[in-house]
Amino acid sequence: MLDRVLSEYRGKVRLVYKDFPLPGHTLARPAHEAARCAGAAGKYWEYHDRLFQAQPNFERADLLRYASDLGIPAEPFAQCLDGGRFRGLVEADIQQGRLLDVTGTPMFFINGQRIEGAAPFETFKAVIDEALRNVR
Amino acid sequence: MRGLMRWLWLVSLGLSLTGLAPASAQITEREVRLTLDPAMARGSPTAPVIIVEFSDYQ
Repeated sequence: MLDRVLSEYRGKVRLVYKDFPLPGHTLARPAHEAARCAGAAGKYWEYHDRLFQAQPNFERADLLRYASDLGIPAEPFAQCLDGGRFRGLVEADIQQGRLLDVTGTPMFFINGQRIEGAAPFETFKAVIDEALRNVR
Repeated sequence: MRGLMRWLWLVSLGLSLTGLAPASAQITEREVRLTLDPAMARGSPTAPVIIVEFSDYQ
């Protein structure tokens, strides 16, 4: 659905992804850290898409295999993941979400306007169109 | 990561009830400073509309 938004509003909309692994999802946090490690190798969005396809298989071996499948060098990726290189940045995203009263996912903010949950395209269109009118 | 991180401001609008009657509701603004990693963004950097998505892989 967000692909459609980005396609239909090309040049007018930018999507920013923020990590918000929920407390009960014990395997989610390393998955978010792994995605950032993939980003360091220039493959953030490919890995991101792979994780959504692979839910909920996020054991360490799974995360390493997804990286390998995408051609990400194994050793630096494993060092990044095991060393917690991006642990602090994932935690920072969580804290920022909490400041915005994010309690569930997905949660969207379109120029500050909140949309909770997986809303249909028409909901996004209405909010984006209003935001575009406001910036003109 | 130095040089890769940018900042953006997000204004979250919410309703704060100041009394029992809906007519007494007033809009409050909250400003939160968010980090932005360009590697985790898609679309034009100059786009006038920014969608921030908080999400969980699991």
